[in-house]
Amino acid sequence: MTAVRPYFEFAKVAFSREATYRFEVFTSIGSLLVRVYLFRMVWTALYFHNAGIRELTLAEAITYSTVALLMSLVMDIDQTRLLVSKLDDGSIAMDFMKPISVPLYFFSDGTGEVSFHALLIVPSLILALFIVHIQVPDPIVLCVFFLSFFLGYLVGLLMNFCLNCIAFWTLEIQAMQLIVTWITDLLGGEVIPLVFFPPLVQGFIYFLPFAAMYSTPVLIYVGVIGPDEYLRALLLQAVWIVVFGIGAVLMWRFGSRRVVVQGG
Amino acid sequence: MPIIETHRLRKVFRSVERQPGVGGALRSLFSRQYVDKVAVEDVNLTMETGELVGYIGPNGAGKSTTIKMLTGILVPTSGDIRVAGIVPYQKRKENARNIGVVFGQRSQLYWDLPLRESFELLRAIYAVPRPKYEANMAFFSEILDLDEFMTTPVRQLSLGQRMRGDFAAAMLHDPPIVYLDEPTIGLDVVAKEAIRTFIAKVNEERGTTVILTTHDLADVERLCNRIVLIDDGRIVYDGALERLRMEYGTHRTLVVTLADTCEDLSFPHTELVEQEANVVHLKFDRRKITAEHLLRLVTERCTISDVSIVEPEMEDIIRRIYLEGYRTQAPTPAS
Repeated sequence: MTAVRPYFEFAKVAFSREATYRFEVFTSIGSLLVRVYLFRMVWTALYFHNAGIRELTLAEAITYSTVALLMSLVMDIDQTRLLVSKLDDGSIAMDFMKPISVPLYFFSDGTGEVSFHALLIVPSLILALFIVHIQVPDPIVLCVFFLSFFLGYLVGLLMNFCLNCIAFWTLEIQAMQLIVTWITDLLGGEVIPLVFFPPLVQGFIYFLPFAAMYSTPVLIYVGVIGPDEYLRALLLQAVWIVVFGIGAVLMWRFGSRRVVVQGG
Repeated sequence: MPIIETHRLRKVFRSVERQPGVGGALRSLFSRQYVDKVAVEDVNLTMETGELVGYIGPNGAGKSTTIKMLTGILVPTSGDIRVAGIVPYQKRKENARNIGVVFGQRSQLYWDLPLRESFELLRAIYAVPRPKYEANMAFFSEILDLDEFMTTPVRQLSLGQRMRGDFAAAMLHDPPIVYLDEPTIGLDVVAKEAIRTFIAKVNEERGTTVILTTHDLADVERLCNRIVLIDDGRIVYDGALERLRMEYGTHRTLVVTLADTCEDLSFPHTELVEQEANVVHLKFDRRKITAEHLLRLVTERCTISDVSIVEPEMEDIIRRIYLEGYRTQAPTPAS
């Protein structure tokens, strides 16, 4: 029990730290609502001009965007970015001097941060329902969606952790992170559902980790991925978790040996 | 058995050599030249339980690098290192339970939290039992006056308050060994005194082994019997503070206030270092001429109204060693 205690405390601290930035809380909900509204307008206009596609009705497209945006409250957080700033200013030295597992510390901190933002989903959802109407699938689909959402979250978490570990070698990873963010935006399906891509491209991008983060859970939600495809979709997510998990372990092992604390 | 033991400890840092100018910066994007810098070379350090050692040396001498290897966050390039029987970099977490660390330039307190919550978090990290925690907090609060800012977020603390908080944080789990890396840097006189009292008390009452690095030699004079002097990565002196003073403090200054003008102020083995109105500073080598003899020579020639002798400052002694190197002056100490 005492072994878990510190990590629980780290998460608690991160949670209350996030809660102190009230302004950020309100602006993130505000910007989410603006985006929900804008997406509804864009989809409505597109479908009105027959630019939609067979696989997704207008109502489904709006539902897709809204669900994806709500997910982004949690998914867009780089939970382990603390690692990069601590490497940059050298304060990571103090963490290495404590009897704790340092990567678990970063994960706990991230979990605390994310838990707080997860709470924001509820009020955001209620407000979003005033702007748009979204479809609610039946409970079984909903359960699979949440499972897939969780797996997608883990894919993102581990991928970001691997990226952040690059800072052990370079100290700076901003440019690389931007590139990955753009690719995720494009190929993850947060903005444009992947069913809009040409069939040839689709076959390829579904196998990328970016699709495992956003696209898979949302497509399950709107029913494009049917019950007969659940297993395959979830397994693919699991594969990416394993891949990035192994990557994270290796990156940490070799990276943390290189810690050279700046100054002092 | 010594509690800290290093044998032929060596640490080399590899860094990219930067060419000057924009052209050089561009070139270094493609081809890099690495330079190896030896930070610590052949450091043999042995400490017994309960010792309080001053580890001093100029900037960049390798003090912090040594400390970081002792904490286990840096892996030595070669050599052996043992702290309380453990090789720190192999068993970092286990080693962490034995040590407390205070870095003057960094804080281990949690920036966003009130001080008390930082302590509570540390209590969880080190799994300190509640009664022991309470007892320690009471002990620390008394010497360090923590009560007045226990509920203040760390970001709002003054440097002196933060340092006092950091000391309590480092000692919360009763570590048998404590590393203090420039803990009094930037503090005012009062805060320095509080910190020194705290170090002395922890060392005496709890038998804590302490390594103290500092540039403030008043810290060393007040607290340490033994000093280890490191320069350019190598230990150049390891022994009693007094001996260093005896060997190096060969010069004193006789300060005389003249009652009348005095023409000739040159005396044997004596140097006129300063003359301000009628106050004259005469630096003399006490191995060659006694103060009494010099004073007699002065009074024979001039009428004086006041006289005093200034002992050599530790600061001057250390400065001399930094400039001249240890071996050029005194015989190399055994050890």
